[in-house]
Amino acid sequence: MPRSRLVTLRTTALVAVGFVALRVVYRMIFGGGSGDGLLLVNLPRVALPGPFVGIQLFGPITSGGIANAVFGALPFATAILLVGLIGVVIDVRALLTRGSIRGPVRTVARALLVAWSTFPALRESVVRVQRARELRGERSLASLLVPVLEQTVERAIALGASMEVRGFAAVRRHDPDCERPVAISDAAIGFDGRWLLERVSFLLEPGTLTLVTGRTGSGKSSMLDAMSGLFQHLRGGEQDGKISIGGVDRTTAPPRETAAFVGVVSQWVRLSFVAPTVAEELGFALTIRGVAHAIVDVRVAEIASHLRMEHLLDREIAALSAGEACLVAIGAALVSHPVLLIVDEPLADLDTAARARVVGVLDRLAHDAGVCVVVAEHALGEWGAVVDAQLHLADGRAELLPGSVADSAVGRWAAARDRRARPASGNGGDDPVASIRGLSVTHAGRLAVDEVSFTLAAGEIVALAGPNGAGKSSLLQAMALPATRGTVVVRGRDVGTLRRVARRRAVALVPEAFDDLLFATTVAAECRRADRQADRRADHRAASSGTADAFLQFLGRQECGDTQDLLGRHPRELSAGERLCLVIAIQLSAHPSVLLVDEPTRGLDVTARALVGRALTHAAARGAAVMVATHDRDFAAEYATRTIAMAAGRLLPATSEVTA
Amino acid sequence: MMRARGLRWTSWVLGAASLVAVAGFAWPLVAAAVPRDAQAAVPIVALALVPALVVAVALVLDREMYSAHTVALLGMLTAIGSAVRIAGAGVGGVEVVFIVLILAGRAYGPHFGLMLGMLTIAMSSVLSGGLGPWTPFQAFACGWVAAGAGLLPRIRLGSPRSSARLEILMLVGYGIIASYGFGLIMNLWFWPFAVGSGTGISYLPGAPLTQNLASFGLYSFVTSTLTWDTVRAATSAIGILLVGPAALAALRRATLGRPSADRARVRRRSTVPPGDGTRTRRSTAPDAVAAPPTVRRPSARA
Repeated sequence: MPRSRLVTLRTTALVAVGFVALRVVYRMIFGGGSGDGLLLVNLPRVALPGPFVGIQLFGPITSGGIANAVFGALPFATAILLVGLIGVVIDVRALLTRGSIRGPVRTVARALLVAWSTFPALRESVVRVQRARELRGERSLASLLVPVLEQTVERAIALGASMEVRGFAAVRRHDPDCERPVAISDAAIGFDGRWLLERVSFLLEPGTLTLVTGRTGSGKSSMLDAMSGLFQHLRGGEQDGKISIGGVDRTTAPPRETAAFVGVVSQWVRLSFVAPTVAEELGFALTIRGVAHAIVDVRVAEIASHLRMEHLLDREIAALSAGEACLVAIGAALVSHPVLLIVDEPLADLDTAARARVVGVLDRLAHDAGVCVVVAEHALGEWGAVVDAQLHLADGRAELLPGSVADSAVGRWAAARDRRARPASGNGGDDPVASIRGLSVTHAGRLAVDEVSFTLAAGEIVALAGPNGAGKSSLLQAMALPATRGTVVVRGRDVGTLRRVARRRAVALVPEAFDDLLFATTVAAECRRADRQADRRADHRAASSGTADAFLQFLGRQECGDTQDLLGRHPRELSAGERLCLVIAIQLSAHPSVLLVDEPTRGLDVTARALVGRALTHAAARGAAVMVATHDRDFAAEYATRTIAMAAGRLLPATSEVTA
Repeated sequence: MMRARGLRWTSWVLGAASLVAVAGFAWPLVAAAVPRDAQAAVPIVALALVPALVVAVALVLDREMYSAHTVALLGMLTAIGSAVRIAGAGVGGVEVVFIVLILAGRAYGPHFGLMLGMLTIAMSSVLSGGLGPWTPFQAFACGWVAAGAGLLPRIRLGSPRSSARLEILMLVGYGIIASYGFGLIMNLWFWPFAVGSGTGISYLPGAPLTQNLASFGLYSFVTSTLTWDTVRAATSAIGILLVGPAALAALRRATLGRPSADRARVRRRSTVPPGDGTRTRRSTAPDAVAAPPTVRRPSARA
């Protein structure tokens, strides 16, 4: 018997014993302790007044009275034990798995399974939000519950979409016309009467790889969702014109009915995982269709060997690296042999090696297996060699360009335009504000950061480079919340000994999951909260509207008249780049001597990156030492005054100066 | 149209099941109306009736809620509710679970709330080993707490801001009432079992209603109203006040309803001239495809 069931058995027994004990106590208090046998205590009787007249407390207590109470309680105690035993004997999980596939309680069973597999993610989310709270110096209940709830809702939406596109709850299934995976003519998509994209017309053939490019907000994800049907059927979008997928009209066929021939890999793969292990995740689409176990297993093994990840099959979903998670999501979408595979920004999270692997897999799928693959990406980047066509989205129009002709000329131009003159970096090293002395971090027995030492100077922007798993995030985390004393010294004060308020004035960190820091309902409220906190400090160095001003300055919106509109919006309605700027402004509200930012450019397009780069430049100009962990070389080259590299927990000796 | 009628039918069934369940909860008071010979069977019937009704309600709701989006939301919120309930049991009955139930019931409606309350109890009981004869009763009571928040009237008063504030105040008040109501109704069915016979506050089959009510009143007052229920009412009220506005906004970002519609929304573009409106419409002949079809680029594979 598993340990958890023994615990359950013990709990049940304790509850039953407790129930009997309670009955005895009630008897003694409410005048029922008397009976035959030995007189144990003789308490005086107390009669109650008012509405409770006729009720007496206490009285004599005898051994017979207690025995009566015990015997009277036995039938119900037995019932407690019996019901408790049901929970011990039955394997609830197996029962739920069976009930979730067919039968009258599919919703209940599936929802409970989802809840069950969510617990690890929930625990992780609570830990993360707690850390974010500490970084922001917050202690309120709202700062914990709201971000956790936000993440839960976000995860629920992603999970719902991922179950939908894999055929959950489908009552009808369409047969595809394999020769016409995508045919779109004069289509428009939008929300509430405002078209996001118009006059979209293109045909895609089997065995091709098409890249959908465009800036953030140009409608890439919406275009992909319109092909998968999520846009029209789940997100509340509207469609005009004709979108035909595998010969099926998208307006009448929700995603679940085309799951057998349309595979979808969402942008946030970790949020879209349904099952606890890789094998179950890969087989999910077949399992919910009621396909026999043996067949599912064969198909899953086939997919795993095709993607060369047999060794991952028994792995828990939570233990996958970013690159592995991406491959598993692709595998899960392939399990029902799709004619069309839709992949939304698969490379955003990955380092160079994983990127090459994912590009290679999608290349083989298109050009060897004959799948029609559609990928959304900011720019052509590493896709250049494998792309057959590029669908460029700009200004509400979609243009299909054969091959990689367009390249990212537009992007390069924008980058050049947005390039700002950096503040003079001459003072780098003159005014050391922070020194890191022999800092080490251990994660679960593994040394993540090994005796790292360096100094930071006021006004410089230092890029911390290195591959995934080099220890960059661990280092930043340990600098912001040092566990050992004497390792992080800022302006002569040991950060490890500082309390919340003083610590935030010394070091502030913007973590990679920066959304965790936000919990108010408007941008203005978020800024006010940060200002109030900054004001509470001993010396009033700043005017109290500092955070909102800084935020608007980062966005270049100080003089615009519509700032009230911007400040009145919900933080989650801002674009990712704007949200990051808001969090940077909040973390700067305490005027920290050192600002640390973890992977600020992940998933951002050129414009948003420029926005963030400007925010960092402003922070440095105000005298903070800024350190940015990034594997985005272009960003580092453009904004950093110097780069230090890290690998396997150590700083690499060659520290190159980047010339301005 | 079909759907609306289906929903109304479900509501009637759920309402009727809830009424019968209330009678099951109130069996010590109902028993007086039962013929004397049958009175001994009343507690047993009540103990069997409520679980049966839980199953019936689950079956009815199961059909209605079978969609990916709803199941995902139910699952995630059940996880939060159970986690909060289990964690709360460790810190002396600070029941934060009502905050989750009330806010979710408010955001997603009474049917979702009823289901969420039941699932939360089921999940947390299985995980914490708290399964017992009381589990179906708890499931119903928690389901009602969540459903009640969804049944409260929609508030439209002045600016959206002030109606949002008023809504939170209403939910705070509801949270307090629901906390005490939950305690009372859970005591009502359990009181005869908990106290047993032979004490001053025991349930006396066949005794006058007033005498039993007085006994129940004292039992409830002493054992829960003063202590657990008051703590629960305070935590719920404070929690809803602090977390409510942001949490409701977060929950409402994932609205239910539209996902289950089988037909996508199609809007004729010509009714809304976008941009400056000077554009002329192109031919909409079914196969008028402007862009050339993609073909495999020979150079890519050469």
